[in-house]
Formats: sequence, C-alpha cells, structure tokens
Amino acid sequence: MGTMVHTHDNKSMLSQGILIFIYLAILTALEFFVAITFNSVVLLVVVALVKAALVIYYYMHVYKLNLESEVDDASYDFKAGTNRLGLWLFLISDAFVFAGLMVVRINLLGLSRPELNQTLGLAVTTVLLVSSFFMNRGETLMRNGDRQGFLKNIALTFILGLGFLLGVVLVEWRLAIHEGITPSGSTAGAAFFMMTGMHAFHVFTGLILLAIVWINGRRGLYDVKSYPVEAAAVYWHFVDVVWIFFYPALYLIGTAVH
Amino acid sequence: MRRHFIIVGILVIVMSVLIYIGLDSAGLMPVVASAQAVDVDWMWNLEVIAMSFLFALIVAPLTYSLIVFRRRKGDTTDAEHMEGNTRLEIAWTIVPLFIVMAYAYLGAINLAATQRVDPQAMVVRVTGLQWDWTFEYPSVNGVTVVSKELHLPVGQQVLFRMTSNDVIHSFWVPEFRLKQDVVPGRITELRITPTLEGSYKVRCAELCGTSHAFMENPVIISSQEEFDAWFDVALDEAVTASQTPEGRGQALVSANGCAACHSINGAPGIGPTWFGLIGRTEELTDGSTVVVDEAYVHESISAPQAKIVAGFENQLMPTYSFTEEQIADIIAYITTLR
Amino acid sequence: MRNISPVWKGLLLLVIAGAIGYGIGLGLDALISGALNTSGPVGAAFAILFAVTAFFFGIYGYRGITRGLVYQVVGTLLGALLITGIRALMGLDNIFGVYLFSEPAWVVGALVGVVSFLFGVGVVHDWVQWSRGIDTPEHHADEPGWEKYFGVSLDHKVIGIQYTITALVLIAIGGTFAMIFRTELAASQLQFLTTELRLFNQTGPQIYNTLMSLHGIIMIISILLGISGIMNYAVPFLVGAQDMAFPRLNAFAYWVSVPASVLMLLSLVLGGFDTGWTGYPPLSARAPVGMQMFFLGVFTAGWSSILGSLNVIATVVRLRAKGMSAMRLPILVWASVATSIIALTATQLIGLSFQLVMFQRLFGMPFFDAARGGNPVLFQHLFWFYSHPAVYVFVLPGLGVISELLPVFVRKPLFGYRWVAMSSLGIALVGFTVWAHHMFTSGMNEYLRVPFMYSTLLVAVPTGVKFFSWVATMWGGKIETPTPMLFVLGAIIVFLMGGLTGPPNAAIALDLHLHDTYWVVGHFHDTIFGGFVFPFFAAIYYWFPKATGRRMNEFWGKVHFWMMTPSFFVLTLGMMLIGLRGMRRRIVDYDPALGFDFAQLIMTIGGYLIALSVLIFIINLFHSIKHGEKAEGNLWNSRSPEWQVPSPMPVHNYDVPFEVVGEPYDYGLKDSKYVEFSPNGQKHIEFTTEPEVQPHRH
Ligand code: HEA
Ligand code: HEA
Ligand code: HEC
Ligand code: CUA
Ligand SMILES: [Cu+2]
Repeated sequence: MGTMVHTHDNKSMLSQGILIFIYLAILTALEFFVAITFNSVVLLVVVALVKAALVIYYYMHVYKLNLESEVDDASYDFKAGTNRLGLWLFLISDAFVFAGLMVVRINLLGLSRPELNQTLGLAVTTVLLVSSFFMNRGETLMRNGDRQGFLKNIALTFILGLGFLLGVVLVEWRLAIHEGITPSGSTAGAAFFMMTGMHAFHVFTGLILLAIVWINGRRGLYDVKSYPVEAAAVYWHFVDVVWIFFYPALYLIGTAVH
Repeated sequence: MRRHFIIVGILVIVMSVLIYIGLDSAGLMPVVASAQAVDVDWMWNLEVIAMSFLFALIVAPLTYSLIVFRRRKGDTTDAEHMEGNTRLEIAWTIVPLFIVMAYAYLGAINLAATQRVDPQAMVVRVTGLQWDWTFEYPSVNGVTVVSKELHLPVGQQVLFRMTSNDVIHSFWVPEFRLKQDVVPGRITELRITPTLEGSYKVRCAELCGTSHAFMENPVIISSQEEFDAWFDVALDEAVTASQTPEGRGQALVSANGCAACHSINGAPGIGPTWFGLIGRTEELTDGSTVVVDEAYVHESISAPQAKIVAGFENQLMPTYSFTEEQIADIIAYITTLR
Repeated sequence: MRNISPVWKGLLLLVIAGAIGYGIGLGLDALISGALNTSGPVGAAFAILFAVTAFFFGIYGYRGITRGLVYQVVGTLLGALLITGIRALMGLDNIFGVYLFSEPAWVVGALVGVVSFLFGVGVVHDWVQWSRGIDTPEHHADEPGWEKYFGVSLDHKVIGIQYTITALVLIAIGGTFAMIFRTELAASQLQFLTTELRLFNQTGPQIYNTLMSLHGIIMIISILLGISGIMNYAVPFLVGAQDMAFPRLNAFAYWVSVPASVLMLLSLVLGGFDTGWTGYPPLSARAPVGMQMFFLGVFTAGWSSILGSLNVIATVVRLRAKGMSAMRLPILVWASVATSIIALTATQLIGLSFQLVMFQRLFGMPFFDAARGGNPVLFQHLFWFYSHPAVYVFVLPGLGVISELLPVFVRKPLFGYRWVAMSSLGIALVGFTVWAHHMFTSGMNEYLRVPFMYSTLLVAVPTGVKFFSWVATMWGGKIETPTPMLFVLGAIIVFLMGGLTGPPNAAIALDLHLHDTYWVVGHFHDTIFGGFVFPFFAAIYYWFPKATGRRMNEFWGKVHFWMMTPSFFVLTLGMMLIGLRGMRRRIVDYDPALGFDFAQLIMTIGGYLIALSVLIFIINLFHSIKHGEKAEGNLWNSRSPEWQVPSPMPVHNYDVPFEVVGEPYDYGLKDSKYVEFSPNGQKHIEFTTEPEVQPHRH
C-alpha cells in the first residue's frame, strides 16, 4: 500500500477505488472466517478498524478537510470547503448515536449475540460493500466529467442500497421474528432491531440523497466541481462505515444465543 | 504593591478563619447515629476547611481590588498594562492539581473506612416498593419476621441487602449518612453500624412517583435487650399468622406493600379501597360495571391492567408473581375487610 | 380593532381561542369517553394549541411563526388520526386509550406536528428548492422593524435575538412553575396541591412532580437557547464574519426549538410526568403520556443544540478575519468552541437514551426492564454521558462572557490569556470523563466510583485557572462598575460558591449523604446562576446598545442586581442548609418534625424577590428599546471590533472588513490596536441578491 498516497489524478483514483474494494472484500472474508473458526474478538475489532480506516481515507477522502484554500472567500472552492467541514461535523455527531447503540449492545448482551441467518448477513453486507464501490466510481467519474458513467454508477448504487435496505427490513427482520427474535421478546431482540433499525433509517435517508443527486445530475446541474455529489458519496460511505462495525457486532462476535 | 499583598494576605486568613468558625458552629449535619457517620463527618469537616479557605482566597482580593482599585472620579486613563506572569500561572495550575489529587486520595480512604466489613453483621433484607419499605429479618425455624419498622440493636453492624419490586428507590437515614439506591433486578448492599439509641426515619431519596415524599418508615435503634424483646414478640405473631389463610394473606399484603395504595378502612388512596370490596359494584374505564367477586379480585391481582377501575387511569398497579395459594390467602384476607 | 396594540390583540385572541379550543377538546373527549371531564387533558391540550397559535396570529398575522403553529396543530391532529385509524383497522382494542388518542397516536402526532411546523414557518423552503435543482438568492432581505423577529431570518443577529427572547420567555414560564411549587413548599403539610385535587388527570402531588420536572427541563432548555443566543449574536462579529457559516441551518436550529417548547407545554396537560428532568426508567417507562411529550420535546430541542454548535465551529474555523490567529481570538470565541464541541457530540446520547425509553414504551423493547433482562442503570450512564458535559455547556459561554467583559471594565488586559483560553478546552475535555459522579449511589459497578472521583476533581484545576486569572485581572486595575460589570462580579462570586460546593459531591462517601438532597439543588442553582444567569444578564446589558442603539436604564439595572443577588443567596444558602440536615429533593411535602418550616418560608420569599427582579429586568428591556438613552458609539470604550462601528450594527456587520493587527485585550498599552479596518482584511462572503449558479448544499 506504500504507493497509495491520496491523489487528484482521476485515472489513478479509479484504479485506487478498485484496489480498495478488493482489500475490503478480502478483509470481510477474513472476518467471516475468523468468526466461524476461532472467533477472536480482538481480531474482529482490528479488522473492522482497518476496514473503517480504508473507507474513511480512500472513499470518504477525509484528507480533503486539510485542503488549504487560500483563495478568495467567495469562491466555489472555499464554500465547498466550508460545506465539507459542516458535513464532517455532522457525521461526527451522528457517530455518537451509533457508538451509544454499540454501548447498549455490549452492556446488555456482552459476548453473546442473537442467532441470526449468517448467509443473509454476509449477503447484505456484500451488497452494501459493492454499492460503496459503485458510489466511489460514480463520484470519480463525475469529477472526470463523464456524466453518463456517473449516472449509471449512481443508479447502480441506488439499486444495491435499496437491495440492502429491503434485505434487512423485509427479509432479515421477518426471518428473525419467525425465529422468535422479536423487539419485545428479549434484550437481544431489542438491541438487534434498534441497531439495524437506526442503520436502516440512515440508509433510507442516504437513498433519498442519491435520488436527488441522480435526478439533478440527469438535469445537467453538476459539472466537474460538484460538491453535492461528493457530499452524497461521503454520507453513503459513512453509512457503510457504521455497518462495518455493526455487522460483526450483531453477526460475528461471541456465541449465538437463542 | 507590597503593602497591598500583605493586607490581602491577612484578610484572606482572617476571612477563612471566620467562615470556618461560622460554618462549624452552625451545626450543619444531623446527629451522628452510626459509626459510618463519623467518617463522613470527618470528610465534611475537611471540605468545610477547604471551602472556607478557597472562598476567602478569591473573594478577599476581589473585594479589596474593588474598593482600592476602583476608578477615581475624572480619571479616564487605562490601568497599567500587565499581560500575565507565566510562573504564577504555572503555580496556580500545579498547586491545585496536587491539592485535588491529595484530596481524592483522602476521599478514597474515607470511602474504604465507611465500608469496613464485620463478618458477624446481621443481614436484613430490604424491599422498596411504591411507596413503602419492608424489612425481613433472618428466619428462625422457617418463620420470617417481616416488619414495616426497622428495629436494630445498637452497636452491631447490619448488612442491608436491598432490592425493589417496581422502580428505583433509595435507602437513606440522614442520621446514618450513607445512602444506597434500591434497584429492580439487582441486589445492592449497605453496611451500617448504629451507635445511638433513638428513633429516626428511613426516607426514600430517589424520586419514585406520586407518593415519593411520603415513603418514610420508622427506624428504631434500641439496646440489644429491647431489640430481642421486640423480635420475640414479632416472631410469635408471625408464627400465629402463618397458621390461618387470612393471617398468611395479611402477611403477604404487608410484605408486598399493598397498603401504600389500598386502604382497609374506606379512606381514598392511590388505588381503590379494600374496605367492603367483595360485593361492591365497580365502574370500569370502558364504561361497564362489575360486581366484585373472588374471580374478579383474582384477576385484579394477577393481571392488574385487564380491567381498570374508573378514576384510576393514571395510576399503574404493579404486577406481582404470586402463587395460586398466595392469591387465595390474600383474597381470604380481603374478604375479612367489611 | 385597528387602534389596539398588537400585543393586546394577541392576548384577546389568546383568551378567545383558548376557550374555543377547550370547548372543542371537551366535546371530543365527551363524545368518545362518554363523560365530561372538565379538568381532563384533552380540553387543556386543545386550549393550549389554539391559544398559542391565536396569540401570534393576533400580533403578527398569518405568516412566519403563526403559519408554523397552524401547521403544527393540523399536523399533530392528522398524525394522531392516522395512527388512530391504523389501529382501528388492525382491530387493536382500546383505540382511544385513556385520552382522546392512544399513546402511539400522540407520539406520531407530535412528530408530524414538529415537521409540519418547520414546513409551515418556511425554514426548509430553500433546501427543498435546491434539492429540486432550483436556485434561491443567497440572502433574503428582512422585514423592517420588530416584525422580522417573528419570521424566518437568516441574519445571525436577528437569530441571536430570537434565541435570547425565547430563552427569556422560557425562563419566565419555568420560573413561574418554580414559584407555584415553592409556594406549596413554604410550609409543611399539603397546602393547595392536595391529594383531592384533580387537574389534567393529576392529583396534587402529581402536579407537583410535573411542575418540578418541567421547571428543571424548561430552565435547562432556556439555558441552551440563551447560550445559543449569545453565541449566535456575538461570535460572527467577534471573528469578523458577515454571518454564520450556514445561515439556513442556523435559522433551522432556532426554529426547531419553538415546536419543542410547545411539546413541553403539552406534556404538562397530557397527564404530566413525574420523573424529574432526569427521566430515569423504570419510572419513566410507566409514567403517563406526558412523558412522551417530554422526551420528544427534549429530543427536538437537542437538534437545535447540535446543529447550532456545528455552525459555531464551522464559522470559527472558516470565517475568521485576516490575522485572527488562534491566540488572538476573543476569549468568548474560545469558550463557544469548547461548548460547541460538547454540544455537537454528547447531545446525541441524551437523545438516544430518551429514544430507547420511548421505544420501550411503544414497542415493549425491554432495554431497561430488569424483569426481562434489561438494565436500568445503563440508562443512567447514557443519560449522564450527555447531562454532565451539558452542565459545562451551560457555563462555558457564561465564563467566556465574564472573561470577555472583565478587561473592558477593569481597563487592564486579561491576565494570562493563553491559560484562560486553554482552560475552556480543558474543562470541556475533562468534562467528558466524569459523568458517573451522578451515580455514586446507583448500584453501578463498585470499581468505577474511585476513578470517577479523581476525574471529577480534576475539573477544579482548569476552573481554578479562570478564577485566579479574574482576580489577577482585577488586581491593580481601574475598576468601573456599571450594570454589566455588577453582574460580572455577581457571577464570579456566585459561581465560586457553586464550584466550591462541587468537590464535596465528588468525595464519594460524603456524596452518599448529599446525593438527592437540597444540598445538590443548592449546588446547581449556584453554578447555573453564576455560570449562566448572571453572565447572561451581563451580556444583555452589555450588548443591548449594540443591538438597538440605546442603552438600558442604569437605575433599574442596579435595582435588578441589588434585589436579585441577596435574595438569591437566601434561596440557595437555605437550600444547602436544609439539604445537609435531611431535606430530600423532589418531594411535595416534608416532615414537620424536621423543623424546616421557617427556612422554607424565607426561601420562598427569596424566590419571589428573584422573580420580581427579573420582572423589572424584562420591563426595563422592552421599555429601553424605544425609550432608552441613545448610545450609538463605543459606549464601554472597548477594543473589540464590533464597538468600532456604529450601533445598531449594519445588516452584514462590517462594511469594510478588518484585519487583526494586535492583541485583543491590550488595555493600557499606548497606540496598540486590535483591529484595523481596510479592504485588505477581505475574507468574507459576497452577498448577492440575484440568483446565481449556485452550489447545492446537503
Ligand atoms: C452549571 C452547571 C454546573 C457546574 C459548572 C458544576 C460543576 C461541578 N459539579 Fe455539579 N451539578 C450540576 C451543575 C453543575 N455542576 C447539576 C445541574 C447537578 C445535578 C443534576 C441533577 O441531579 O439534577 C450537579 C450535580 C453534581 C454532582 C452529583 C451530586 C449528586 O447528585 O449526588 C457532583 C458530584 O460530584 C457534582 C460535582 C461538580 C464538580 C466537582 C464541579 C466542578 O466543575 C466545580 C469546579 C470549580 C471549583 C472547584 C471552584 C473554583 C476553583 C478554585 C478556586 C481552584 C481551587 C479549587 C480546589 C483546589 C478544589 N455536581
Ligand atoms: C436555569 C436554570 C434554573 C433557574 C433559573 C432556576 C430558578 C429557580 N429555581 Fe430551580 N431548578 C433547576 C434549574 C433552575 N432553577 C433544575 C434543573 C432543577 C431540578 C429539577 C429536577 O429535580 O428534576 C431545579 C429544581 C428546583 C427546586 C427543587 C425542586 C424539588 O426538588 O422538589 C427548587 C426548590 O426550591 C427550585 C427553585 C427555584 C427558584 C425559586 C428559582 C427562581 O430563581 C425562579 C425565579 C423566577 C423567575 C426567573 C421568573 C420570573 C419572571 C416572571 C414571573 C415574569 C413573567 C412575566 C412575563 C412573561 C413578562 N428549583
Ligand atoms: C402503586 C400502587 C398499587 C399497589 C402497590 C397495589 N395496587 Fe392494587 N390497585 C392499584 C390501582 C391504581 C388500582 C385500580 C386500577 C386497576 O384496577 O388496575 C388497583 C386495583 C386493585 C384491585 C381491584 C380493586 C377494585 O376496586 O376493583 C385489587 C383487588 C388490588 N388492586 C389488589 C392489590 C394487591 C393484592 C396488592 C399488593 C400485593 C396491590 N393491589 C398493590 C394500585 C396499587
Ligand atoms: Cu421510593 Cu422515592
Ligand atoms: Cu456532573
């Protein structure tokens, strides 16, 4: 990874996106493997942290907060910089909700977890991960000036995101209830529904943002410098980062109890 | 300037001494009735010294400046320019740092002192309920004395093991000082060694709903002999009561604090009175009426929310887990109330 | 009709509409439950909703806030009806619950009501346009005169004043509640809040609990709005910006607090709630529907706090004038940033903790239900993780105001500027690690107690730095004492008392005696008055001329001070005294055997005198807007940039930008300047009123 510094060169950003996706996929597989074999909590935490760091740096371009804009305050770049800071502050704030939910989960369940459908869990996780990949591509293409490619990728992201949402809310919730894991049945059920519910709510708002960006993109409102596209992407990846932690917390760590 | 510093220095000392004497002689704490209270009061005294000194340390120079350095009439110039003094600033960061750390250390020692364990301590089980306390003494030959009053012998450590049936309460006897929350679903502990005979009150210190203010039960500290005498009588009563259904019912009612909401003499309360309950016609919230019989009472106890009596919508009766025999005993007791 | 002043017209309509609403509510209630309950919740809820709306209609007409309120009322009813309908279709029994609507219906109704308000008042209009790809002008011109305060404005000065006035209204409401329950406390035994009383389906003791809890939370929300008022008003012009970084978000943050306040009032009549402002389960899981309104109200107000602080940080980071390096920031700006860091992050946790209880009530999720594996103490951790740092949110801006004003009236630089600036951050950061000191008696894990005592006491160090610096600043100065300075001095002494009564609480064994007694009540009224109320008044007296071009009456200002301060000491010293001797908190009645009757009576009288002095202040404030002595120049002879331009301030603050060329508080240094006005300092947004090709912010 030594050569992978952050870059503004569009070509290399595209290939960087692919590379990061591969890393993430490998790490997810590793995570799953660890969980079904020797289930080491420490290792799972480390893997999640590495994944989150990759997404935050390469997909969410956190380094852009540092871009020095000596330029005039009225310029587009300056305003975009202010907006970027605002969005990040919002995400930091939002992260505290999810951290709080994590504390609730750890306090109530400790090293046990609800007995959920592993295949489905891995499937929705993959879908969300792939959606992030397309989101990244879409954003980069827009910066490249390729509007058609941008639209196509955003549409794909949207469809995958919707798939994730429905997979969790329609399929997973139903299966869980069928298995006797209900919101009111036990603390495990309560934690599960609360965490996935809160996350699903964020996915839902993310989908709305994607829809707006897609529609406005089709109308030709964006050009090479379009902060709204970046904002939608950063938000989408943030939702991804949350799932990077929630997935192991709900599906992998500890022993399943009924 | 030097003169000013000396005057203020003297003022600070005089003022702290005066405040300390004032506070100390005001007798701020209730009487000391437990060994633990002695430790707590020791810490309190330390605090009073610290507060007196620190208050004077700030207020004396402040007032002094206000008088001596006030703006004279007609003066429109600024004061002498003075931005700071790094050494002074470091000092007033480091010194308080040491003080508070020393102070926290003393606090920890003090806490340990209040938690000294006497392995011989008598165990009293305390239950908090809306809005009453019950105390259960170690059982003798399978019979347990359950009391609404806390009787304790002087000089012997008691270990309270406490839990709650409904919401959080807090066990506090001001004369004992220490308090401890009583939490549903867990058992909390508190150790007290009473040292002064007399009667006090245990006051619930955690907001627990409508009648929180009135959740106060008597505490009686007496000599070992008096305590034993009381205990023997209470034990006899418990033995007799356990022989009849009404007696067992009454004991259950008393142990579960039903009286906090239900009167037995027709007086209004949080819940409907039990006086003349069987055979009475009750109006329910859905507009219907029922004539109270044993089945209805049974349902009211085992599933309180099934039918709600009109006028009591805003009060929730807790759900209890009684066995069938226990409910039958309670009904037997209620039936006697007419 | 045309000749009466708008306020009277508003009050008249308030009464009429209140009566109509009450009638409608009673009628609906009777229709459904079959009984006429004149003191029940439904009539009162309708009366409140109608009356508040009609009041603003009377003074302002159908636009701005009035339209918001109308939308809120309609939204609430629609939301509630929707859920009622769904429940009817699902065949759930007990559709109408105890009240007109079931609990889920009220909750959803309240949520829909809040969202509707935001649409009605018009704060989301521009965002909706942007998302549809339509541009809007970057700034909207405000209406002239007082009318701009009742509608959406994007000007930070207008928003700051809106916040301030709302805070004062809430202080008046919360203070009035305090007066009611203090009257009950003036003597032992139940005076008028008796067990026979029935009001809004509550008995006297329940009314006490509701009023006491609402007093706490309404005051706390008024503090949050008050500090937002100070920060919004002052921070942009202190750093030389033309406005906040996100003016629309700023307006949004203010306007969500209005429906939140309405929800708070609704909670009073919808059965109330008897948990105190802390809302601990399991008690809060069983309280009446008012509990849910309280949760939703706090939740909504929390968003105001979060978004407002986000804006403050972004403004300070991005929009500082040229040359304004970190160590040349006015001290109030440092304090605001420290406050905002806390509010931005920790607030989410009180929201979450309340949300979990709401869900436990609505869906039976057993988070805090011990019988089903939940953990009541977990709630307390989540709650205090916000609510302790929150107390530093309350005071840091106030302490900033003290440090900001002191040099002006002492005519001497702030002693040790750097340490004071850093101490705000220090307090904020250490403040994150101390929350469990509220839980020493809670039965939490034993090993947590001692570490939390250490961290708690650590806060005394940076706080002490401030005090020592203030004393050193005053030493050798040339001290003037106009009204703002009096309040600054009062603040220092009162906050010192509050601060010094903190360490006893932190010493665990001693806290086991002090916890949940009036000692603690005394402690926090001292810290809050010293850290917020006094500085808030100081700030208003100080910046009032900036906002209006007139100054407030000095004589009545001094009366306000000399009446409030001694009565306040009587009130809180009394609290601490009886607390030590065994007076529990949150009780409607106390044992006469304790012998507190006399002390309580004196304290109640003290409370009334405080209320009277605040009333004097409010009258002085409104009177001076029109009739105050003119003060258009640098009234206090301050170095701060805002005083270098005429009052009232121009719409976009500085016509010519400034550049920072010196230290902020160099009083007494010849020929030193803090700022220099020149186009050279250009670092500001150009405002255009023409639509331009415009970025869309999400
Ligand atoms: C505005 C708010 C505010 C502020 C600033 C503080 C400041 C502090 N508070 Fe307070 N507190 C509250 C508001 C506030 N508090 C509220 C609202 C509650 C009750 C909540 C409820 O239950 O409803 C509460 C309750 C509360 C408790 C829980 C009590 C209980 O319920 O059992 C504790 C326990 O540790 C505590 C401690 C402290 C401490 C150590 C400080 C410190 O920050 C104080 C530091 C200041 C000084 C110490 C003075 C100046 C310093 C010097 C002169 C330097 C030298 C000093 C030393 C060397 C000691 N507070
Ligand atoms: C900003 C914070 C704030 C302020 C200013 C106050 C102000 C006052 N407080 Fe309160 N208080 C709290 C915050 C505050 N309080 C909190 C957080 C609690 C804890 C609640 C809980 O336990 O859950 C509490 C609890 C509390 C209690 C304990 C209740 C109990 O435990 O049972 C008491 C008892 O005396 C009390 C008294 C008072 C009094 C007499 C005032 C007086 O200073 C009030 C003076 C009156 C006014 C300021 C209003 C004056 C204005 C008008 C009358 C004008 C009206 C006219 C117009 C509209 C123009 N407060
Ligand atoms: C916290 C208050 C509270 C406590 C404690 C309480 N109750 Fe009740 N009880 C009520 C209320 C309120 C009602 C009326 C509402 C209802 O029917 O649920 C009620 C109703 C009843 C009724 C029906 C009375 C009628 O007139 O229809 C019975 C029987 C009863 N309770 C028995 C008990 C028993 C037995 C206990 C103790 C083991 C107990 N209650 C403890 C509050 C309480
Ligand atoms: Cu039990 Cu208060
Ligand atoms: Cu605290």
